[in-house]
Amino acid sequence: MATIERRAFMKGATLGALAFTVGGSTVMLTARQARARNVPFRLLKEAEADIIEAIGDTLVQGARAAGVAHFIDHQVSVPPEEALLQARIFNVRPPFVNFYRAAVTAIDSGSQRLFGYKFTEAPPDQQIEFVHNMRQNKIDGWQGPPAPFVYTILRSDAVDVVYGTMEGYEMLGIPYQAHIAPERRW
Amino acid sequence: MANEKVDVVIVGAGASGSVFASVLAKAGKKVVLLEAGPDWQLSELISSEMWGRRIRPAGAPFRLEGKNPFGYAGQAGWGVGGAALHYFANHPRFLETDYRMKSEHNRGLDWPIAYKDVAPFYDRVAREVGMAGDAKAEEKWRPPGDPYPMPPMKTFRQGEILKKGFESIGIHMAPAPVAMNSTEFKGRPACIYDGWCHVGCPTGALANPIVTYLGEARKANAEVRALCTVTRVLTNQQGTRVTGVEYYDDKKQKQVQEASVVVVAAWSGQNPRILLNSATDKHAKGLANANGLVGKYMMTHSIAGVSAMFDEDMENHLGTIGAQYMSYDRYPKTSYKSGFGSTYIVAGAAQKTHDFANARPDLIGSKLHEFMKQAARGFTRVTLFGEALPNLENRIELISDKDAHGMPLARLVHSFDDDAVALWRANLEEGQRAVKAAGAKEAWVGNVIPTTHLHGGTIMGTAASNSVVNSHGQTHEIPNLWVAGPSIFPTEGASNPTYTILAVSLRGADQLAASWGSVTN
Repeated sequence: MATIERRAFMKGATLGALAFTVGGSTVMLTARQARARNVPFRLLKEAEADIIEAIGDTLVQGARAAGVAHFIDHQVSVPPEEALLQARIFNVRPPFVNFYRAAVTAIDSGSQRLFGYKFTEAPPDQQIEFVHNMRQNKIDGWQGPPAPFVYTILRSDAVDVVYGTMEGYEMLGIPYQAHIAPERRW
Repeated sequence: MANEKVDVVIVGAGASGSVFASVLAKAGKKVVLLEAGPDWQLSELISSEMWGRRIRPAGAPFRLEGKNPFGYAGQAGWGVGGAALHYFANHPRFLETDYRMKSEHNRGLDWPIAYKDVAPFYDRVAREVGMAGDAKAEEKWRPPGDPYPMPPMKTFRQGEILKKGFESIGIHMAPAPVAMNSTEFKGRPACIYDGWCHVGCPTGALANPIVTYLGEARKANAEVRALCTVTRVLTNQQGTRVTGVEYYDDKKQKQVQEASVVVVAAWSGQNPRILLNSATDKHAKGLANANGLVGKYMMTHSIAGVSAMFDEDMENHLGTIGAQYMSYDRYPKTSYKSGFGSTYIVAGAAQKTHDFANARPDLIGSKLHEFMKQAARGFTRVTLFGEALPNLENRIELISDKDAHGMPLARLVHSFDDDAVALWRANLEEGQRAVKAAGAKEAWVGNVIPTTHLHGGTIMGTAASNSVVNSHGQTHEIPNLWVAGPSIFPTEGASNPTYTILAVSLRGADQLAASWGSVTN
């Protein structure tokens, strides 16, 4: 068995750090840190990331600052078998970026139809109304992956970055109790 | 590219493949395991929900269809250990009734073997991999067997509270039998109750294949080739014998591995897919499929999950992801007025933040956050697994769409029948009664039937007319082609399947080793 330090954890993986490229160098950052440093997106366009951040923050408070768009952007840019996304568990067919692109397009066009403006420009109460309607599949003319499925995946991504990290556990007062000290970078 | 011929090539290094590899390598056979995923090391099993997803498959080899589509990717494995690398290690046995459903109820199918044929292998698996539990307490429901090698696991507050709830409505609970170490076992440490079992146990306290049968197979010189995806089983010109397998290696190069015996142990989803894709002019419908039964009788358990909120601190972060307590009290197949099939009850699994969030998928924003704070102290959940009967319409079949290796994808069609749905509803009611009796201030359930544990697709039986393989996993059509894993189960009971997978695989592997001369000549 490999050497394992019980109840220790690697500063990195369990904190949610990923390998981002900054100024030509690869650095380990959490998605939150990547957003704070304004790390460029790999695959997502700025407008796509804006929608993901806006809906992520509507679904789970703090998802924007926790770097939900950077998390997704990173994960759709790695080989699918390395991705950490819930989309993987829900049988989304790679490349996963196609799913997210279709999802944000559907969200934005749905918002345009419903409110007359982009989702990112909608006031918070309308954004909340919109995602509740997504969950219940009540958005007329929705085009893209099924709205309840998009809701589920994006909500899960937002939960990942806000409540799934050690910071998230700490915020809720739950001992994280990681019991592994990997010796390699992720 | 061809490789040197070996005695046995095993497709898949999960629970069943590892057992075959261990037994045959120890018997002196040259064994190669071809595993589609990575060769995980324990030190790579990060304690994190997100990082734990890496040991699940990525992509979509199955199109999920039917009224109750099977949740594929969360249930299967990706890499050595297979699904047993992230399983919950609950190890209940199938009971006597599971092996003779047709005889007892004139429904479903009988196994070609009885409980007594498997019982010695249950005991042997427990001794070999290490199990904790109270075998004496289980004798309320099953014939006596050997005691488990370790005492039951520690229990925690939520387990004790839920146990009282069940018992107050007349359901007897016993310590859950689990493949985890309550004490040090064979050099592997005792569990530290951190509840991260489902993302892979890195300490070796949980008996995953890496630290049990696969580890033993390697010690006996079995070779594991990771990132090698088998696409076809190959046959001789007459179609009377298999000669090896075709696979794509870690560099995406096509290779052939010749072998005297092929064991397909790639999980209930992939086993039929591979056999169907191995069609030749002599086996036009796929290997071992003259009767058209490959890919048929796919079965899954329903999950009646009851969520509950308590005012008191349930200490729900402590324990394991397996159960603290279990019950077979609703296992008789006619336990309820409505529905048909067995139910296996578990309570006391450790909870993580994702479990909280998933328990109320309708909540967002500030309401979700308020719920998460409450759940951190007071949330718990009980699970009642329900059986479904074998049904020909639940099936796997190839489709024209292809994967990266040019292998056809498959559709997995699954619907629960009326009895299974009724059983699920009855279990939901039973679970709610239990948590309310335990003092929950609130209890709730979902309105969609979750599925878990895929079985069937290459079922065992008495003859080629009614099944794909015999009770050892040997195909009726081709003597040196064997199939292993839950795909050979003709009924699924309600127990978590891995213990029975290991026991039945051990029985089959022993038989293969003992009959080697006749199988290979």
